[in-house]
Amino acid sequence: MTSRRRFLAGLAAATLAPMPGWAAVGSPDFLSAALFDDGTYRLVGLTSAGEVRFSIPLPGRGHAAAAHPHLARAVAFARRPGRFALVIDCATGDQLARLDAPDGRHFYGHGAFSPDGRRLFTTENDYEAGTGVIGVWDAAKGYARLGEFSSAGVGPHDVVLMPDGKSLAIANGGIETHPDTGRTKLNLPTMRPNLTYVSLDGSVLEQVELPVALHKNSIRHLAVRADGLLAFAMQWQGDLTHKPALLGLHRRGDRYHLLSAPEDIQATLAGYAGSVAFSAEGRQVAITCPRGNALHVFDAEAGRFDRAHSLTDVCGLGPGPSGFVFTTGHGDVGHLVGSNPAVSPHPRVHWDNHLVPIRPMI
Amino acid sequence: MRLIAVILSALMPLCAVAQSRDAILTDVTQAHILPRFDHLVEATAALDAAARADCAPGSADLRAAYHAAFDAWISASHLRFGPTEVGDRAFALAFWPDRKGFTPKALSAMIAAEDPAIADPDAFAETSIAGRGFLALEMMLYDPAFADQGDAAYRCGLIRAIAADIHRTARAIDRDWHGYARILTQPGPDSPYRSADEALQELYKALTTGLEFTADTRLGRPMGSFDRPRPNRAEARRSLRSLRHVELSLVALRDLATRLAADHPQIAASLDDAFARSIARAQALDDPALAGVATPQGRLRVEALQQSINDIRSLAAAQLGPTLGISAGFNSLDGD
Repeated sequence: MTSRRRFLAGLAAATLAPMPGWAAVGSPDFLSAALFDDGTYRLVGLTSAGEVRFSIPLPGRGHAAAAHPHLARAVAFARRPGRFALVIDCATGDQLARLDAPDGRHFYGHGAFSPDGRRLFTTENDYEAGTGVIGVWDAAKGYARLGEFSSAGVGPHDVVLMPDGKSLAIANGGIETHPDTGRTKLNLPTMRPNLTYVSLDGSVLEQVELPVALHKNSIRHLAVRADGLLAFAMQWQGDLTHKPALLGLHRRGDRYHLLSAPEDIQATLAGYAGSVAFSAEGRQVAITCPRGNALHVFDAEAGRFDRAHSLTDVCGLGPGPSGFVFTTGHGDVGHLVGSNPAVSPHPRVHWDNHLVPIRPMI
Repeated sequence: MRLIAVILSALMPLCAVAQSRDAILTDVTQAHILPRFDHLVEATAALDAAARADCAPGSADLRAAYHAAFDAWISASHLRFGPTEVGDRAFALAFWPDRKGFTPKALSAMIAAEDPAIADPDAFAETSIAGRGFLALEMMLYDPAFADQGDAAYRCGLIRAIAADIHRTARAIDRDWHGYARILTQPGPDSPYRSADEALQELYKALTTGLEFTADTRLGRPMGSFDRPRPNRAEARRSLRSLRHVELSLVALRDLATRLAADHPQIAASLDDAFARSIARAQALDDPALAGVATPQGRLRVEALQQSINDIRSLAAAQLGPTLGISAGFNSLDGD
């Protein structure tokens, strides 16, 4: 379903410049990184119905991507600790620019555009200092590095543009890593994740921390509803006798709420949520849990657990035309409305962690 | 009766699996976990006694007791859950990696202020975690920078306080593990582990995290990058223990892996072969402080050792994990 806003944005882009909008590449709904059975890592334009609109080879395993708000361009990030990201023309598959992390920085794998598409914000690690930064890139001028600002935390993983178009939400996962020691977590006893809202020039607007007892619940992934309600998904770093909530909701100026399934169901998740999304109509919010092979759906208004779906290696998640769309490491693309998912299998594709909506928000 | 027989026969395979899982949990707890912490208490008691008998940093008896007790901790340090993690006890025993040099700072501050906390075990346990444990003791015994810092009598008191605190922490861990053993071996609706699977997954996580720490941190930190090796970042390099920690951890993890794979002899055998290759490589390295990472040839050999540990990790993820109910999926293994 093409939204009116998207259609108009595409039209505007088409008339102002001879650059193709997303309609020219088959109006995919999502971007997803994937491993194909021929051994190639690819960036894929995918529809909610599970149709592949394009697939473009990447030089290594991807993670997430950032979709330009109206041009058919995507920034594909390498899996952390990646040092480069590629700006790809999704119509031709051409590489338009390459972002190299400055000395002493690496990417975490997520990024977001400003509403006009002129600025790109990327989550990065200042690994000698052990602190997080947001890199700012000039998308209008060949993706030159404009500068950076503090993420106001350690290990910023996901970043999303808020619906006001003037602020970003950052998930500071709290975990310090250094490229010399791969993905080893260096500070688990002292980690303090947080959720930080900043203006587009980096001023901290609001910050949310969980209580000390939950300081090992790493805030990793974000989804935002059109009215500004933010959902955050977490990954528990403590021992498995604890079954903490892996999903939280927050609205600027309010207290956060943690959402959890009943304990016997929560216990099956191995403390790990991979992706988070609101449903198309915004009434529901869900997380995927690849280690527990489950997708948990909650009522976003009541903050109540609704149901669990058993889905092997499920991780990618986004809003569908209604309900949710999910992907699995075994190649399934599913459309979930109510209790029964409609699945289209892609047996030769392993869908990677995330579905990135091409509409910036619902 | 016939109906009961049918139900029983239908349940039998499940019971068989459940029984063997319980047996594995009991075996790992009784034969792998508890003896390691019991031994840690004995070795740290000897360390405490040696420091009280002679606090001179060059004392042969004190240094021997330090090595024996540190060996005991490294052989148990992969068991970082339950009582080991309460109050960050594992970090109180070994604050490493110390990315920002907190240990020398904490020790210098104690010495400069002649902090009276060294006279009171409760007060000492509340001082900076970086100034406690084996790496703080190592610095006091082996680092020339601390040989003549401040007052000699205070340094002696500090060495004794660190040794006594190590023993105290070890005793607390061991005592709590003897209670926690029941929790781990009797999972169920009222236990923090709801099922044998959940308890086994905790042990599997200890195995994979231990392998990751040894490959990526114990070896990865001194390796640094090819252009910029960091031999000064090797763990416990002042007392020439860096490589020994790699070997001790591999020996301990091999024992754990073998017990976790008890139901699957072929997987156990292939894991055992992979550990044997890694341990042989470590023993052949002859580079106790991993200082060789600074030369291209030395680095290559350390890299080969690291790769051999990564081979064990892949094997565990692909073969052992699935037998314990851990899926080896593209996304579930990603951890991002």
